Amino acid sequence: MEKPFPHPLWPLCLLWLTSAWLPAAEVDFNRDIRPILSDKCFACHGPDERTREAELRLDTYEGATEGGEFAIPIVPGKPDESEVMARIHATDPDDLMPPPESHKKLTAREKDLLKRWIAEGAAYDPPWAYVPPARHPVPEVTVKDWPVNWIDRFLLANLEREKLSPSPDADAVTLVRRLHFDLLGLPPTPRETDAFVQAAENNPQAAVDREVARLLASPHFGERMAIYWLDLVRYADTVGYHGDQDHNISPYRDYVIDAFNANLPFDQFSREQLAGDLLPGSTVGQKVASGYNRLLQTTHEGGAQPKEYLAIYQADRVRNVSAVWMGATVGCAQCHDHKYDPYTAKDFYSLAAFFADIDEDQHFKVGSNTLPTKRPPEMLLLAPEDEAELAALKEELAAAGDKDEKKRLQAKVAAVEKRGRRTMITVAKPPREVRVLPRGNWLDDTGAIVQPAYPHFLAGDDPGSGEPGEGSRLTRLDLANWLTDPVDGTGGLTARVFANRLWALFFGTGIARDLGDFGGQGEAPVHPGLLDNLAVEFHESGWDVKHLVKLMVTSRAYRQSSLAPPEMRERDPHNQLVARQSRFRLPAEMMRDNALAIAGLLVNEHGGKSVKPYQPAGYYRHLNFPPRKYAADTGAGQWRRGVYVHWQRQFLHPMLRAFDAPTREECTAERPRSNTPVAAMVLLNDPTFLEAARVFAERIMREGAAGEGDRLDFAYRHAVSRPPDGDERRIMGELLAFARKDFQARPEAAKALVSTGQAPVPADLDPVEHAAWTTAARAILNLAETFTRN
Amino acid sequence: MNPLHEHRLALTRRHFFRQGGMGLGAAALGHLLGQDAMAAAPGMKAAAGLPHLPHFAPKAKRAIYLFMSGAPSQLDMFDYKPKMADLFDEDLPESIRQGQRLTTMTSKQKRFPVAPSMYAFEKVANNADGAWISELLPYTKKMAKDLCIIKSMHTEAINHDPAITYFCTGDQLPGKASLGAWLSYGLGSENENLPAFVVMNATWSAKRDAQAIYNRLWGSGFLPSKHQGVLLRSQGDPVLFLSNPEGVERNTRRRMLDALEKLNRKTLESFGDPETQARIAQYEMAFRMQASVPELTDLSQEPERTFEAYGPDSRKPGTFANCALMARRLAERGVRFTQIFHRGWDQHGNIAGDLPLQCRDVDQAAHALITDLRERGMLEDTLVVWGGEFGRTIYCQGKLTRENYGRDHHPRNFTIWMAGAGVKPGIVYGETDDFSYNVTENPVHIHSFNATLLHLLGINHRQFTFKHQGLDQRLTGVESAPVVKDILL
Repeated sequence: MEKPFPHPLWPLCLLWLTSAWLPAAEVDFNRDIRPILSDKCFACHGPDERTREAELRLDTYEGATEGGEFAIPIVPGKPDESEVMARIHATDPDDLMPPPESHKKLTAREKDLLKRWIAEGAAYDPPWAYVPPARHPVPEVTVKDWPVNWIDRFLLANLEREKLSPSPDADAVTLVRRLHFDLLGLPPTPRETDAFVQAAENNPQAAVDREVARLLASPHFGERMAIYWLDLVRYADTVGYHGDQDHNISPYRDYVIDAFNANLPFDQFSREQLAGDLLPGSTVGQKVASGYNRLLQTTHEGGAQPKEYLAIYQADRVRNVSAVWMGATVGCAQCHDHKYDPYTAKDFYSLAAFFADIDEDQHFKVGSNTLPTKRPPEMLLLAPEDEAELAALKEELAAAGDKDEKKRLQAKVAAVEKRGRRTMITVAKPPREVRVLPRGNWLDDTGAIVQPAYPHFLAGDDPGSGEPGEGSRLTRLDLANWLTDPVDGTGGLTARVFANRLWALFFGTGIARDLGDFGGQGEAPVHPGLLDNLAVEFHESGWDVKHLVKLMVTSRAYRQSSLAPPEMRERDPHNQLVARQSRFRLPAEMMRDNALAIAGLLVNEHGGKSVKPYQPAGYYRHLNFPPRKYAADTGAGQWRRGVYVHWQRQFLHPMLRAFDAPTREECTAERPRSNTPVAAMVLLNDPTFLEAARVFAERIMREGAAGEGDRLDFAYRHAVSRPPDGDERRIMGELLAFARKDFQARPEAAKALVSTGQAPVPADLDPVEHAAWTTAARAILNLAETFTRN
Repeated sequence: MNPLHEHRLALTRRHFFRQGGMGLGAAALGHLLGQDAMAAAPGMKAAAGLPHLPHFAPKAKRAIYLFMSGAPSQLDMFDYKPKMADLFDEDLPESIRQGQRLTTMTSKQKRFPVAPSMYAFEKVANNADGAWISELLPYTKKMAKDLCIIKSMHTEAINHDPAITYFCTGDQLPGKASLGAWLSYGLGSENENLPAFVVMNATWSAKRDAQAIYNRLWGSGFLPSKHQGVLLRSQGDPVLFLSNPEGVERNTRRRMLDALEKLNRKTLESFGDPETQARIAQYEMAFRMQASVPELTDLSQEPERTFEAYGPDSRKPGTFANCALMARRLAERGVRFTQIFHRGWDQHGNIAGDLPLQCRDVDQAAHALITDLRERGMLEDTLVVWGGEFGRTIYCQGKLTRENYGRDHHPRNFTIWMAGAGVKPGIVYGETDDFSYNVTENPVHIHSFNATLLHLLGINHRQFTFKHQGLDQRLTGVESAPVVKDILL
């Protein structure tokens, strides 16, 4: 007889095995059971009919309780009579499930959970991610003065159940830095820090509210949010495949920044990207937005077969749309019905069919090995005055009779056009035929022809739900509407996917931890009620992104300190309880922005063509068609924000790469955060950071008064928003003394160090002293505190 | 990675740093004081891989992969087809082509005339029935007893980008982890001072435009980014941003790092954040790499006979011969996986002009590498692989003459070789038809090939997975990919 449950060591095991804090109360199907069944059983007993063994499916209640060829797998309430229990405990390898050759094993805990679940009635809850979010009642809490808004009450109620307390508020300096990094991607200036600290002394909440309102109105908010969105939609400046030539798309990036700044409602933002060209009387901005459909990687490699690549492109789009808006991995259904989720191969190709009208095959013929290459259709964007001039010139041209006159005017037209920027857009044409490709094989034309359709299990019974009029087919616009319609479509689900991602931006981890997979293989949310309410709040507010952001960052939970005793870190390593805030290194682009801002080098221009920072010579030498020479920007372009940096998919700028910026070949919902020697070398030796250090040093010397102490104050206040303490003064003092002596002996070396980069070299500063302070500035720019969002 | 494991790793790491934290700086200083940076290496703790790996005792501790990008012509190098001599300029029979899809570069050709190899083949003794090798590879002939030549490789991809991505990452589409990244992730590094996965891109001699190569071929894909290959460059810094800036000497840098460490340690004390601890260690590792990488690339202590063996090019940074020598030095230092990409093998035309140049680039150096490893007793636990992303067609692309011809891409069969650790030496495996157009015996698919490679390194490829996008991702895909047991010792 097995030991009765729970075992005295049970809570400990649970902690170890799942890093979970969850109480061993009732078994929850989605949280506890589905992940086990999905990972260990569904590959052979799941939704995919073709690979189903023994005609048995365990992904539905009916399947599991009726059985297949053999005994009844699950008898609700009776684990002892359930074949599943016998099989998972079988000693004969021929009977054992999962079979040994699958290399999947059930742990003792998983077996116990299955037993309990069956004993409790084997309820199959529908997959949480497909159940539209509904408002949950906000829980009552004991400690009444902690919560600021309902987010806090959800979290606190949970903590109270766990007999835990939230962390104390972070100090005002930490908080103002957190807000600035999170909302703008930039550090606060000392003046901003002082103002906030002072205001927070009187009324911290009012200070936060005011600061948040101010930051949300800043044009840098859009730049910060765009960093994340551009990862999702895999925005890049090059085609990715083969020659990885440049393509014209940077206006799309500016559109995204503008949209976040203007707080364009998220449903409209979605419509404009997926189907901006189909909106009645679509504006220039909406056409630019439709460039979304052109962001995928493309090729005109000699020998490439258009049909093969059209199949690759359509699959790429399905993967991206489903990842961005649905938090789903529909890509798995390209070759077969999804193993873990209800998506069928037909769903996959039906989704692909929405995009079959995109005019995109011209480049197989006209794609050129030039920079940029040709990827029609594109649109030319001109400044208003150029627009007017061009119109006038064209009129003249039409009227001109004489050949020379025509030539002269054509040259003028070309000159004006050259000042503009081109960008790829979506143009619809009669749709291509789309078939289900058996096993994803594009050479196989035997599959059924499909029309655009929503995934069958999400489409609903209501024929009115986004159905087209008589005889017409669904369009990309229908798809966009369906994705953002909480009543007749899946808008609620979309809202939940996006709300979860916003949460991860501001708390370090998603409420559902896997930001990219809300399917059976992803993790269920730890605070389902909170996540649902955020989702509902989002769409009911009219898809107001800034509103949702504000709600999160003005919560009490957001204000917590990130300090955690080691026990707490071990108990909740991913900070899913939110009993503290998170600490993490800034994303790649912000590493750059932060250094440039501290140095005073950052150029705050908005939008425009992509910029090229210093880059080691020869870094592109492995590219061809054509061979690449990299020309770093001169002047203002050199000191723009990271979001504007040229994104070369195959050879992404090594600084961005070192800090985990993705190549944007595919959707990235969450970047890894690595900590490598290569990253250390970049921060120490990349000319961008060296130049920032020497310009920062100059600034310290000019603006930081005469004495060393005052200068250190100035330096620290700019870099870490606080003055140095005694130890730090001493350590920096010793470093300065050493560096002074070192460079006095080597004045030429001093001159070399303070000449890095393109910024003017000050003639009036003593190079030795400047080099000494540059050494100090390098140390400060390399401090973990400088580039850690805390 | 499974969260439990991740958590345990973090704990181990933390434990390690707590024990050794302050000691790292001192060890690094030791290197500074004139010690051979590598002499200290064996005593240093290597970066760990997964705790349950290897799955079984590996035959190979490390691997060197000589990747011939562009697709070398098996017909002119290894796959001897004497019957073709009589079929010069005859049409390729449809019974052989069987409606095989062609690239759009030749699919519109009116004819597919047979182009027999213009090169003389010789049957050289190996440990079985001998191996036919062409006159383009005189040094390779000398090592037939070391090689396992596989003539029956096949792939589905017919264009370079998807094909090479397939070989290097197990998938034609981007986004997956590369072979070296998998090995770094699974097996970790044997040398703390050098990365586990090093990539070199060699210069080449063919005149024709070479195919580009891509970061993704040595990328980490869905694996943590620290596992991506580190490019060892032949111009500028050997590792990007390795050198101190102009004006900063090593002791200046040391003093700055000391100050930085003290300051970061204060942050560590206040927050107890293991990330800060790790960061301190990474700055030390970067500092050590400033010594270990130049020591690695400094060939001045190599005896004259080394350069004689690898050929005169081996003194020239960036050549294949130079990279091959560097690969041996990396292997000596415990680098897990070294990959050299040699471009220029895409002979759509002018085989007579370009193929001999390409062969000359690699033939002697590959021979020297094998010999060198054997002499050092390292061939028994070092696996060496040579090959490209697909093969080339028997039929001519472009103009066919007795003196020159071109060949299009051919995925249905092509030749690669392996040598060393655990691989049967001196055999030829697999067979193709008279046209070198179809495999007739013992086909080896890319996935099987990679499965075999992993097997030699002690890894069961079915069990070597990483969860991403809801799937257990593996290098060898979802279909069965049996290890090629026939070629194993």
